[in-house]
Amino acid sequence: MRAGTIYLLIALVLMAISSLKDRQKTKEAVKATFKIFYVVMPVLIFVFVLMGLIQAYVSREIIVSILGQKSGLLGILYAEIIGSVALFLPPAVFPFGGYLHDNGASYGAIAGFVFTAILIGVTTLPLELKLFGKRFTLARNLLTFGLTFVIAIIMERILS
Amino acid sequence: MKKILKNDAFWFLFISVVITLVVYGLNTAKGAIVAKTVYATFFEVLDIIVAVSIFIGLFQVWVKPQTIVKLLGKGSGLKGFVLVCTFPILMGGSLFTIFPLLKALKEKGARIGAIASFITAWGGKAPLLPLESKFLGWPFALVRIGFVIIFAFVMGFLMDWVGDKTAQIKKEKSFLVEL
Repeated sequence: MRAGTIYLLIALVLMAISSLKDRQKTKEAVKATFKIFYVVMPVLIFVFVLMGLIQAYVSREIIVSILGQKSGLLGILYAEIIGSVALFLPPAVFPFGGYLHDNGASYGAIAGFVFTAILIGVTTLPLELKLFGKRFTLARNLLTFGLTFVIAIIMERILS
Repeated sequence: MKKILKNDAFWFLFISVVITLVVYGLNTAKGAIVAKTVYATFFEVLDIIVAVSIFIGLFQVWVKPQTIVKLLGKGSGLKGFVLVCTFPILMGGSLFTIFPLLKALKEKGARIGAIASFITAWGGKAPLLPLESKFLGWPFALVRIGFVIIFAFVMGFLMDWVGDKTAQIKKEKSFLVEL
């Protein structure tokens, strides 16, 4: 059986349990589910187009030379910069990361990309500044970038 | 019409179609590659995305933000810190949805280290595990989530240290003013 089918079955069982416990809440959950799907799917399709563009125009050799194992620390750094400026919703990060990995990017580079894409966002900076101030925002984003670098190096060692 | 133009979903789809058509117009073979990639990946992930949306939808309804604030606001100390570094891994959403929640935590007196730990742990993204394992494999996904916990702990310590420094500088400054 496909993994997706299994997840879908688990999700439906949880939904059924939820509706037995509280019908009103489950209705809200169904609504939320539709809303999430509606927000996420178009972004995903856009990311799939990006993947298609890379497939069509960027050769595997280029990806390997920028983000591959031999690119070492610099590759991780590039991946982190890409992740920091990428305007991705979290669900789009993994398909894109997986796609880069299939095309020669190292696990370390992917880890750098995934962490920064989720935790650092150019689009969320204004909100973070407004809610938490300059010092917090600057320190959090810089520390996230730095710690991600260390973790990405270790993950590269462990996984490959 | 105005409503449609303000709709992000519409724009993402619109731009996607335009890019594909332009590429197809410039070079039929390359356009076909783009279209094929989109088509194949779409059907590869459709069931997973539906399942993930259901997981996040259920979580949102059954675990209200107020509950989270209460849960995390209660235990400062070690227990609260451990919670802050692990519990957010289960949550969905984007930074846009969790920042307001964290503002509430801060107003309840949470330390900035706890806030930073929360954000980092939230990056664990357990609801997206089906997607992550599908594209990057279980070893990557599990190792990454393990590191998220360590990441969140270290982040908390470092941010508290940064925060303490600020407090100290402020103290010194106010001392100068008093003089």
